Amino acid sequence: MNAWTVILAAGLGSYLFRLSMIVLFERITMPAYLQRASELVAPAAFAALAAAGVATACGGLGLTRAAAPLVAVAAAVVAVLRTGSAQAAILAGMPALWVATALLPT
Amino acid sequence: MISLRADRRDLAAGARTMVPWLAGIVPFGLVIGVSAAQADIPTLAGWLTGPVIFAGSAQLATIGMLDAGAAPMAVVAVALVINVRLIFYSATMARHWRGTPWWWRLVAGYLLVDPSVAVGLEGYRRLGRGRGHAHYLGGAVLLWVSWLAAIGIGITAGTRLPAWLHLEFVIPLYLVGQAISKLADPALRRAILVAAAVALLALPAPLQLGITLAIATGVAAGLTEVRR
Repeated sequence: MNAWTVILAAGLGSYLFRLSMIVLFERITMPAYLQRASELVAPAAFAALAAAGVATACGGLGLTRAAAPLVAVAAAVVAVLRTGSAQAAILAGMPALWVATALLPT
Repeated sequence: MISLRADRRDLAAGARTMVPWLAGIVPFGLVIGVSAAQADIPTLAGWLTGPVIFAGSAQLATIGMLDAGAAPMAVVAVALVINVRLIFYSATMARHWRGTPWWWRLVAGYLLVDPSVAVGLEGYRRLGRGRGHAHYLGGAVLLWVSWLAAIGIGITAGTRLPAWLHLEFVIPLYLVGQAISKLADPALRRAILVAAAVALLALPAPLQLGITLAIATGVAAGLTEVRR
């Protein structure tokens, strides 16, 4: 399977989910644990991809330059905790990244 | 029955009800566009997640996991489990769409996603069944157009803006923001912390199994919190 097939399969499956109750079945009861698991998957996937993404961003850099992504993440965490808004992560993190990259020695 | 010709005012009302939602949705679409541009997949394939999957979290996870080189079946499985909620939305709308023509259910069903359900339900509550259909359609079509446009703009920005802006870092930062803002819920907190820790520990894992393993472990950890 390449990227195209993966995207089409995920899209087709999602469309069948959308149609499930309005076209295919009158009503089926879903197990409660499946609903709960569904609510947990996106946050878990986002956390895993975030951790791997930050680690990868640091990995290609030297020891001092690697601090810049970490400074940006720290700024993002503080901003989200203080404002309660997830959007604050980008608004605080990107300028922190630019400043840290400019100041840290190569 | 559906008589869209007479319902131009209800279509417009639905679109207006959608406008406040766009403040959160457009930035999300931009992030997905940037991630599609930066990811190691064809850019058009990244954009196609918009019209084909049409659900932001599943799109972002799909693009991120494909970029990380995760196994195709694992990517499809994660995207579908994230989208299980669409079955509940389908059940919610089934009540309002019973007895409507097939074409309507195929089109309206395609547009089902969190904001369109919220705007649609408000329309059925305020205007009743007949006029509610147009209200739903007005909101959902505006959402669809804005979503695809935002992803397209994100892709353009992601490929054209200078490298020193490090736009590729917008994606981890967005994900960090989403994770941190959900830490208050005990089950989510456990899922998030375990998933992040396993992802870091499993970085050297072969075949990029780390991300899939991290998600599965995180979800399992979150479920143990619920059971207690």
